[in-house]
Amino acid sequence: MNIVVFIKQVPDNTKLKPEQLGEAGIPREGVEMMVNPFDEYALETALRLKEAGGEGSKVSIISLGSGSAKDVVKKAIAAGGDEAFLLTDPVFLEGDNTATALALANAAKTLVPDHHMLLFGQTSLDDGTSQTGPKVAELLEYPSLTACKNAEITGESTLKIMRETERGVEFHEMTLPGVICMMKCDYELRTANIKGVMKANKTQIPVKTPADLGLSSEQVGANASTTTLTRLWQRPEKSAGIKVEEADPTVAVEQLLGFLKTQKVL
Amino acid sequence: MGFEEYKGIWVVAEASEGRSTEPAQELLTVAKELSAKLGQSISAVVLSGTSDDTTSTETLLGQLGADTVYSIKHDLLAQYQSQLYTKALSDLILAKKPNIVLFSGTPTAMDYAPRVTVRIGGGLMSNVSELSVNDNGELDGVKSCLAESMLVSYRTDKARPQMATVRGKSYATGQPDANRNAVVEVVTPELSADLAKTRLLEVQAGDTAKKKLEDADIVVSGGRGLQSAEQFVLVENLAAQLGAAVGASRAVVDAGWRPHSEQVGQTGKTVSPKLYIALGISGAIQHLVGMRTSGTIIAINRDAEAPIFKTADFGIVGDVFDVVPALVDALKKEGSPVSV
Repeated sequence: MNIVVFIKQVPDNTKLKPEQLGEAGIPREGVEMMVNPFDEYALETALRLKEAGGEGSKVSIISLGSGSAKDVVKKAIAAGGDEAFLLTDPVFLEGDNTATALALANAAKTLVPDHHMLLFGQTSLDDGTSQTGPKVAELLEYPSLTACKNAEITGESTLKIMRETERGVEFHEMTLPGVICMMKCDYELRTANIKGVMKANKTQIPVKTPADLGLSSEQVGANASTTTLTRLWQRPEKSAGIKVEEADPTVAVEQLLGFLKTQKVL
Repeated sequence: MGFEEYKGIWVVAEASEGRSTEPAQELLTVAKELSAKLGQSISAVVLSGTSDDTTSTETLLGQLGADTVYSIKHDLLAQYQSQLYTKALSDLILAKKPNIVLFSGTPTAMDYAPRVTVRIGGGLMSNVSELSVNDNGELDGVKSCLAESMLVSYRTDKARPQMATVRGKSYATGQPDANRNAVVEVVTPELSADLAKTRLLEVQAGDTAKKKLEDADIVVSGGRGLQSAEQFVLVENLAAQLGAAVGASRAVVDAGWRPHSEQVGQTGKTVSPKLYIALGISGAIQHLVGMRTSGTIIAINRDAEAPIFKTADFGIVGDVFDVVPALVDALKKEGSPVSV
């Protein structure tokens, strides 16, 4: 099984300061960056599928981002990925998810032509559109399943996939090649061992531009986008609420019920 | 721009396999606002299997504001499958050329709406909480980004139709008007089974007696302060008393006390109930992103410095093991059901 995992580098939101959330855009410079949380589950699922797929299976990592995305790609190699590609060009960063989906679909076709499945995280922490995976599937005419929590190989070109929706837990069979978008899974994420880190340090990460993927200037960035951003601003902070420090719980509860009544929730 | 031929506001409902069309009913509230501004009619699209009885749904959608209901029916739509639903809806959009298409923010709609937009060449805004018409007559959407810390206003002005998935509970369902009737047009799509490269094997429906986290008006969540899986019963007791859904912090999900389906936060669910009660939850940012848009937030925590108190509208510094039983007792005495 040849598996492609798409990994995105996103700002670490736990370390952002309010002054970094200005109108200029989602901060990507001078802030701590990390692997998009759901992408870690996509990678873990890919590594498990590779182990189950036996001899000759491989996991390829593709990341579209700035040069610093090399860090998250190296981490993925250290955890067990076999090869990686970085799609880096200023024009890539000007695109929305429609443009990104076109770039990623072309990357999968040209860089890993023998792939069987493409794995994504369910959504990204920064843009949060949840659209890229299904759009890549549509462009490649592949099936897609989102909100997935597990995938196992059941045949030469079939997977059994578990997903969670408004109906409960669903199990689907997918005929490959296909696209799977992963939520948080019930299994633990592996951490890289020293051998993996050494391998990652030695691995060359080829950098690809739109031309390398056969994309014209009409097919990238703003030209290939279908949305226009008009304004970005920090969510207004809530004003401080009431804090009761009261030794007698019944008194505290009385005050709480009084508050809920004034709020008309009781 | 040559978009004049695109007219009408559509809302899409998936009605197979007993799915609730409540999220689509919410969409009609915003569709009516947009319709008043644009002077364009409203159509509801209902996708279902041939043997699904959608009569009452169609009637209700008419009473809530739809002028027309396109009821797309086919045996192959009896079970949701992304490629079949994509084709059935895309073909109708291409034939009728609506100006705006609104989807609910359910996992099902979010699964195939992106495919639809690629197939027909339109743009899709995701998970918007607010929609309006700007001075150029274009659709503006507002959504949160960067894990709920920022808001972005954007539009899909380069192509038609303009499409969006709308976050649940952003708009309240309107009052049905018993005198309103929609014209129902049954549509039979051209579908063949070989289009579908996935197949549903099995569904394990959740405990139907339990309130769904994402639909609940009240959520009671517990964190590490509960100290053990057994003592989480405190959370369940309060939830039962309030008719609320149970939520959990990542810490207790990772500890195996509660299933991931109950996790509220960055790698779990985002909820926005009218009342959110956090018990023994410190309020790490990863948790706050999943609940900060809730109406009223109550926190009970022993640690007066816990960050959750910055987000709470009302906080009690105290031990959950003392305060929660007292709260349950007081609510029992109160006897009045919660009026959310």
